[in-house]
Amino acid sequence: MTAVIEVKNLTKRYKDTYALNNISLEVEGGMIYGLLGRNGAGKTTLMSILTAQNFASSGDVKVFGETPYENARVLSRVCFVRESQKYPDDAYPHHAFKAASLFFENWDQDFADRLITDFQLPMKQRIKKLSRGQLSAVGVIIGLAARAEITFFDEPYLGLDAVARQIFYDRLIEDYAEHRRTVILSSHLIDEVANLIERVIVIDHGKILLHEETDTLRDRAVTVVGDAARVDAWAAGRDVLHRETLGRVASVTALGALTATERAGLHDSGLDLAPVSLQQLIVRLTQTKGTPTHEEVR
Amino acid sequence: MRRVLNVIRLQMINRQTFIWVPLIILAGATLLSVLIYAMIPVETPKYGGGGQAPLWYFFAIGISAMSLTFPFSQAMSITRREFFLGTMLTAVLASTFLGVVFLIGGGIEIATNGWGVNGYVFYLPWMWEAGALGAWTVYFTLALFLFVVGFTGATIYKSWGVTVLTIVWIALALVLVGLVFLVTRLNMWIEVGHTIGNLGALGLALWGLLLTAIFMAVSFIAFRRTIP
Repeated sequence: MTAVIEVKNLTKRYKDTYALNNISLEVEGGMIYGLLGRNGAGKTTLMSILTAQNFASSGDVKVFGETPYENARVLSRVCFVRESQKYPDDAYPHHAFKAASLFFENWDQDFADRLITDFQLPMKQRIKKLSRGQLSAVGVIIGLAARAEITFFDEPYLGLDAVARQIFYDRLIEDYAEHRRTVILSSHLIDEVANLIERVIVIDHGKILLHEETDTLRDRAVTVVGDAARVDAWAAGRDVLHRETLGRVASVTALGALTATERAGLHDSGLDLAPVSLQQLIVRLTQTKGTPTHEEVR
Repeated sequence: MRRVLNVIRLQMINRQTFIWVPLIILAGATLLSVLIYAMIPVETPKYGGGGQAPLWYFFAIGISAMSLTFPFSQAMSITRREFFLGTMLTAVLASTFLGVVFLIGGGIEIATNGWGVNGYVFYLPWMWEAGALGAWTVYFTLALFLFVVGFTGATIYKSWGVTVLTIVWIALALVLVGLVFLVTRLNMWIEVGHTIGNLGALGLALWGLLLTAIFMAVSFIAFRRTIP
């Protein structure tokens, strides 16, 4: 696998705040990435600089080995629909899709039509009259049906209800299986996209905190479920990320992988292993000292 | 080049914007003018400025091409250069079209003796001094100029904010006032009047084209660094 995106010492400064602070990153092609981080972490800024919509203060960005700015060769192979995407005045959804069909070589109109039905997008209303969720759906349909070699989705689920979000995740996975490409999906709903993403890039305060395969990341911790007293005994002395109880049953997530013997031991003492919540793991791994989370602020 | 032409198609996808709305505005302005002419009981030809209505609309679509269509073009992975060229070509095409409509209007007015009421919206003698082509040039230039001014203003606003835009407008106004002051001070109003008279509408339009080109150049420089 070769890198489709190479970022070296990229910095974006607004007056005295850093949206991106000297980050370096390589993205290999043919995978689904989760670009995770809190609001204002720098996710959108990074994606807009990669697609030449925005400009770096310093540093170097290469996409398909070339600088993307004013480079039609590169840009024609990428698609980035913003979370707050604007559309031409008075445009209807079919105008937007028609435009996309002009500029994206791999545009699949049948697929777009199916998505329109799936999302129940009203085609007889101007885009500016659509609800927030319907507006997101327009962007999602363009991003999916364009089948660009690198597709960026910037929090595409805003305003979409649970059913519509699931449709998006399902269609993305199905289409990705048939048409391999690089997908970079920014999100702060970590657990919702956890089963979708093959690699995780965590960004916070303009810095990349984590960049690894989702499975490897998951192996960094274990969740043990069972009788509360026994679970607590097991957890004693471990770095506990999360603890939940329901009646006499407890579930504890702790850092550190288990050896085969430890696994066997768990089984013998009547405890079970459960999937680790990626969200809890990432929240914990990225909590830097002295920076309160939103929850704590509230 | 194909992508630049596709930008024209992108701008024209919704034909309402560049074609139907200007036509509706022009038809409405003409109808109102003719109705008013019909009520004025004088024998001499009646002239009015209703024909300028769609020109001001071109100022508005210049703004919206920048502030709405440009961000959309970025999602379509279009480079700024492609977007700029394609959009300016679209404006040239639309202004050409509007100029032709203006000529047709003038033709109708000549044929019908001013809509039968001796009233004119299109066939204004001063503009037609240099013939039909001259009249077309004047109208074409005005439409293109207003589009480019709208586009440039919106670009400056997007790049540097409302303060800079205001300063630019004030600076332009100061330059104009400065010129007026100079001409007054040097007692040259008679000469200026002669020059403008000699230039005629067509001459002024050609200078206007030059001014439009300057605005385009300024706009392109600012536009290359604009963030959607």
